[in-house]
Amino acid sequence: MKRKLALLLTAALVAGALGACAKTSSGGGDGSAASDTGSGDAVAAVSNEGEMAEDGTPIISFFDKNSGTRTFDDPIAQELMKRTGVTINLISPTGDPAEKLSLMLAGQDYPDIVLMDRGSDIVNQYIEAGALVDLSQYLDKLPNVAKMYGETLNKTRYTDGDNYYLSNWYGYDPDPVNGFIMRYDIMIDLVGQERADSDEPFTFSEMVELLKQFKEKYPQMNGADSVALVAAEPGTSDNLNGVFAGMYGMKTYYVDDNGDLHYRVSHPEYLDAIHDMNLLYREGLLDKEWTSNNEELRNQKLSQGNVFGYIGAYWDPWTPSAALKQSDNENAEYLAYKVVADGHDADQTTLSGRSSLGWDAIAITKNCKNLDAALAFVDYCASQEGQDLLLWGIEGQDWEFVDGVRTPIGDIVQRYKADPTNVVNDTGITKWTWFVKNDRHEDDDTTNRIFWNEQDRSAQFAYKNITNAYWDTAEFDNLVPAGNSTEALKAQKVQDIINQAYPNMVNAATQEECDAVYQQMMTDLEQAGIADVEAAMTQSYKDRMELWGMN
Amino acid sequence: MARQKPARPPKKALKKRLWNQRYLFLLMIPAVVWVALICYAPMTGLYMAFTNYRPTQSGYWSDLLNAPFVGMDWFEYFFQNDFGMIMRNTLATSLLTLLFSFPAPILIAVFLNELKNMKVKKAVQTASYLPYFISWVIASNIFLTFLSGSGVVNDLLMALHIIDEPVLFFQNGRYFWWIIAFANTWKNMGYNAIIYLAAISGVDQGLYEAAEVDGANRVQKIWHITLPAIRGTICIMLILAIGGILNTGFEQQLLMGNNAILNYSDVLDTYAYRYGLTKGMYSYGTAVGMFKSVVSFILVMGANKITSKLNDTALF
Repeated sequence: MKRKLALLLTAALVAGALGACAKTSSGGGDGSAASDTGSGDAVAAVSNEGEMAEDGTPIISFFDKNSGTRTFDDPIAQELMKRTGVTINLISPTGDPAEKLSLMLAGQDYPDIVLMDRGSDIVNQYIEAGALVDLSQYLDKLPNVAKMYGETLNKTRYTDGDNYYLSNWYGYDPDPVNGFIMRYDIMIDLVGQERADSDEPFTFSEMVELLKQFKEKYPQMNGADSVALVAAEPGTSDNLNGVFAGMYGMKTYYVDDNGDLHYRVSHPEYLDAIHDMNLLYREGLLDKEWTSNNEELRNQKLSQGNVFGYIGAYWDPWTPSAALKQSDNENAEYLAYKVVADGHDADQTTLSGRSSLGWDAIAITKNCKNLDAALAFVDYCASQEGQDLLLWGIEGQDWEFVDGVRTPIGDIVQRYKADPTNVVNDTGITKWTWFVKNDRHEDDDTTNRIFWNEQDRSAQFAYKNITNAYWDTAEFDNLVPAGNSTEALKAQKVQDIINQAYPNMVNAATQEECDAVYQQMMTDLEQAGIADVEAAMTQSYKDRMELWGMN
Repeated sequence: MARQKPARPPKKALKKRLWNQRYLFLLMIPAVVWVALICYAPMTGLYMAFTNYRPTQSGYWSDLLNAPFVGMDWFEYFFQNDFGMIMRNTLATSLLTLLFSFPAPILIAVFLNELKNMKVKKAVQTASYLPYFISWVIASNIFLTFLSGSGVVNDLLMALHIIDEPVLFFQNGRYFWWIIAFANTWKNMGYNAIIYLAAISGVDQGLYEAAEVDGANRVQKIWHITLPAIRGTICIMLILAIGGILNTGFEQQLLMGNNAILNYSDVLDTYAYRYGLTKGMYSYGTAVGMFKSVVSFILVMGANKITSKLNDTALF
């Protein structure tokens, strides 16, 4: 009996000990099957040689990193397939989409179309691997793409001058982003109705005074100690939670007088911004646990009714606002205010950085055998008619032209406001956000999404208060060295060091301690080879400027 | 399996024996195929650790075999840079985990065995192994909530006047190792206790009766009968635990850690994941993973050797 147990355990042990190897190489293991796709390279002649559905329409498999657990079976999905004559086989990301994209690439079993994060280096990895179809040679088959994308196509070219993907959410998008998102009712109470409604920015010192007043006036709220500010957990970017980099007008990288790129930590005012945050922490105005928050914990805190404000994107506290408005009062809503660093020009902030080249990249892969159908599908989705179908719904059913202006039919917008998740899922409108252009309609000046036709108060405040803060991040996107290279390893190390030092600088007990952490970080960065990484990024940046013809 | 004291069988007898047991070998084929395909075949991918692998359109095998050979470069980079910190975290968390999670199930099993009330026994057993079935995503949020500044633990400590200010558990790296050790123990102890309970149930009841006649009390019975009886199981579990010492978990670090304590929470698995999978540095990730496997292998062999020397119980 004992021996049998031992035998069983041995087997388990061998499997366990080797588990690690199996894990790291399994992506490669199952890839050999899907690798022979050489035929896609031949130029011009495109046809549909791949799988067909039962009704004879070509099947296109589509990986959308944002699709979550959604299924492609709503009215819009049906209509889209009917109009384009293809059957879409949606591949859902199970688990972490980034991991799945990496594994699909390693195993070369990516589907016909992939939608991935434009901001990460995964796109370049796919291009370098030769996994994506060069769309430039098929532009005659993509007339609507050429018309809608225009100059964007020029900027999304790869270093070899060809277009391998189309962006999603492209075009200039002056939607506000970051600010101090404060409880409106408490603002009214502390500074009066007029100031609370005014679009005049606050200086940082004024805001600190206000936060202190709040703590004095309300040491306790809803039976708990009050909290002046909650912040989002420190992310994987050195942007000082968006707000503090924005207040000082920092961009993704600091460009010195020679035109060389540096991480933000070398920005002359980086330490000032850190000192501001450290001040908030030392004065007990910043939630002590901001570093270990996650989205749930953060929303829970913001909904408890003892928090004055939040720093970050204006839409982050939407859920807590909805809860507070119900449980507290109509004005218990988090609304955006602009705060400017002392002595800085309020019109020189970079609070609302957005890439005109969009959030996602959508590409056709060389695994696609039904290339003709895929190109036609892409072209339709990108066209104005396709965009209206995806974002406004079916004409005559969800919306109609009234005096030449797109107008929602019935109470669809009201229903959306009451229950956004379910309305989107049931109607299918804005459920599939592909090839989206951030622009109003040329003909009637309505918004690109039916549900955005009326602004709510939170958007109104953000648009009113956070002005002159937009800047286009496109030139700095994706410059970090990627793939298997020493520079990439160093870049990751550099990122790790900054990520870790940042919360520790903010949470320092004294300003001296804060400076010490900063000095240590700079020493560590130097040892980790930050100079090599920055040199590589500067080179890519200069190459890009040349490619865009902006030199 | 080898028999005890094999008595040098004559050569022709071996052939004959193999033939006699041919049906047993036939039965074994599926298992051998499974092991070969699932455990051994993927190991060819370890070659990736010595190359600069980049996936292209020409197929996995061609990419792997044509990738430029870089020798030990990735290992060298790892040892020169993050090795010290990552190993410290890995070993600290796993040794702390071992310290708690190894004795805990033994204690539970022994105490449960002493319980005479079946209802209580069943209830305790179920409650103790329930956490095993909770996913780490939920378990992590439980810990994050309980240990937050306004969480139950801090409230309790403040009410008892043990502390004046809430302890920020997730902002001090040194606490993190203990939290992980505690969480691992809490999650697995009930389930592991089942193995010990099974071993205890095999103990001859006559021994207890004899001990009772000799006037042994409860503690003496546990010490002199129960524990020696499950000594073999304890040894095997210890070997397994030592073999898995570099497997200190993955989800728990990823879900409970944060940037401020990255230099305490980053262990081999999360490190290989961050570099290998999320950054697409397949070769580097493989190198780190391979290092881990080799060390694990050495540890298992070592532990096996030591326990077989000490008390004749070994895996192989």
